[in-house]
Amino acid sequence: MDIFSLAVTEKQVLTAGGSSDIKVHSTADADFPLVQSIDNAHNVGCHHIVTDGRGSRAITSGFDGKIKVWVCQDGYWAAEQKLTADLEAAKAWAIALSEDGQYLAGVNQEGRIKVWDLAADATQIRDHETKGSYGTCIDLSADGRFIATGHADGSVYIFTTETGRMPFSLAGLVKNVRTVAFSPAGKILAAAGDTRVIVLYDTASGEQIASFTGHTAWIMSLSWSSTGEYLLSSGFDGKIKVWSMQTKTCVATLSETDKAVWSAKWLPKIGKTEAFATAGENCSIAFYREATG
Amino acid sequence: MASHPAQPLELNGTNASVRAYIENTLATLVHGLTLPPAEAHLSLILKRRANSASCMINAVTGALEACPRVESTRTYSWPGKTVYEEWKFTVILKVLAILDQAIRTGQLISKRDIYYIDPEFFRAQYVIDGIIDDLAYTIGVDRGALNVDTLIPRIEDGDQIEISQIRWVLVIEKEGKGYPDLSTRLFLRKLFDLALNRNRPLRFYALTDGDPHGMAIMSTYKYGSAAHLHENARLSIPQLQWLGLRVSDIIAVPEVLGDKALLSLTERDRRKIISMLRNSPVWACNGPEKQWRAELQRMLFLNAKAEIEILYECSGGLEGWIERRMFRQE
Repeated sequence: MDIFSLAVTEKQVLTAGGSSDIKVHSTADADFPLVQSIDNAHNVGCHHIVTDGRGSRAITSGFDGKIKVWVCQDGYWAAEQKLTADLEAAKAWAIALSEDGQYLAGVNQEGRIKVWDLAADATQIRDHETKGSYGTCIDLSADGRFIATGHADGSVYIFTTETGRMPFSLAGLVKNVRTVAFSPAGKILAAAGDTRVIVLYDTASGEQIASFTGHTAWIMSLSWSSTGEYLLSSGFDGKIKVWSMQTKTCVATLSETDKAVWSAKWLPKIGKTEAFATAGENCSIAFYREATG
Repeated sequence: MASHPAQPLELNGTNASVRAYIENTLATLVHGLTLPPAEAHLSLILKRRANSASCMINAVTGALEACPRVESTRTYSWPGKTVYEEWKFTVILKVLAILDQAIRTGQLISKRDIYYIDPEFFRAQYVIDGIIDDLAYTIGVDRGALNVDTLIPRIEDGDQIEISQIRWVLVIEKEGKGYPDLSTRLFLRKLFDLALNRNRPLRFYALTDGDPHGMAIMSTYKYGSAAHLHENARLSIPQLQWLGLRVSDIIAVPEVLGDKALLSLTERDRRKIISMLRNSPVWACNGPEKQWRAELQRMLFLNAKAEIEILYECSGGLEGWIERRMFRQE
């Protein structure tokens, strides 16, 4: 079955998709062995999985509309029943988890953006309304200051978490936005989707600062390397691209599959080696190492 | 029968041949009643419509179509040789009277309306559908003029079907022809069963909309419907292959078809998909149709669906698309 979403922790990659289970691979070993399979996590399948920075908590969003919470102890994941029950009424399509794992942000099909405090019985603490277009993607900046969402009508929003306000309105894309991602320092927001162009926004001004063209199919996923030097993108046609922020050019294109790559994520940097994982319609995870030293 | 749309029959008196036929027929019967029983010969003669023996797949359109055929008629007499014949005679007579009344009053009436005038007597909607179709054919009125559309011939015991020239059967979801009724499935299954006795396998393809209903329709042909579980074993087409339409078929060639060709799911679509994934063993995680399950999930994931009509826009139109896709599958 398809893998719709990847989540990366210090030593693991978690996958969620069309089958009912969540799979956990170890990235500490060279051959990325499967170390755990959480069976029947979401019987109808799961489209989003996110983790906190320490890799101690994961949240999944299933096709049945259910949100579930998972905790990791000594590398082994288990269901967090209490928080899962607390989030019973939480409706969200795309989700994002803050670096410290305390705040869960989600955007739903009516375009509403909500934030739940997982340290306070998953109390809903924010409810932002947008123009009502389907919320397809969401990201939280690493410092927790911003939430960004992308929508089916092409809009992109940035909210300041502290005030719950939009500091400025962004010139969105003209078609469905499929992915948004903050740079590690939170200074840049990247957004992409059906226009096949990656647009970079300055999060201080809301101005568009650059755009990357080169994909010839819908862009499904974006991920920043830990240093912010590289941006990874994956397309509906299976193409994966690596963009250099320094030169603002595409420095690598991988086309090993013609099946859609739904999710692409950098792994934590080990030494001078950057590596990333990709997954999608062809149902398996691929790991790539980029020699960038 | 294809479906029972609420469209009224265009029997509002504008068609002189319809009016003349009904008046003449009824007048003849009334005259017959004045005669002594030995001389009366009360009967109704209907031309027989395309029967199953004259049905074939048109290789150009991919649709099931009637062949040119030798004309034949069927006579229903009163008193009949059997109870069935007497019943059928009275049903036809009653339908004629209803149509006569409708034409005289300028009232539009649908097949469904007619059936519900006396459901117990008429027994089933298809009885009315069949008679209306027979009458239209007998009068020589174009089916379109009557707003009657019959796509699938009814199979009856003893009907002979010639399939030696048929290589494949394509089931297309058309507007107004969605979930198959029993006679449609019976017909396909008959073809399927006949093909078991020959050397060359007969291939069955389904082309339905790339949306939850299209997938459910295909599943009804292949596996049967939840409403007729006891009949599915003799009606299903287990070898049915999925020709399309996949959402990715449209996304993959945006230059030709354009992103605009895709539609967003409605809230109802989403609920339908989730219910299918959750409740039907066909789409279960360990079920028989992994690709079908994946397709439903991709629709949700992409918030997109695609209708067959889109294919009219691609190179060679719908036929071109079908030919290319079948070639690939073969």
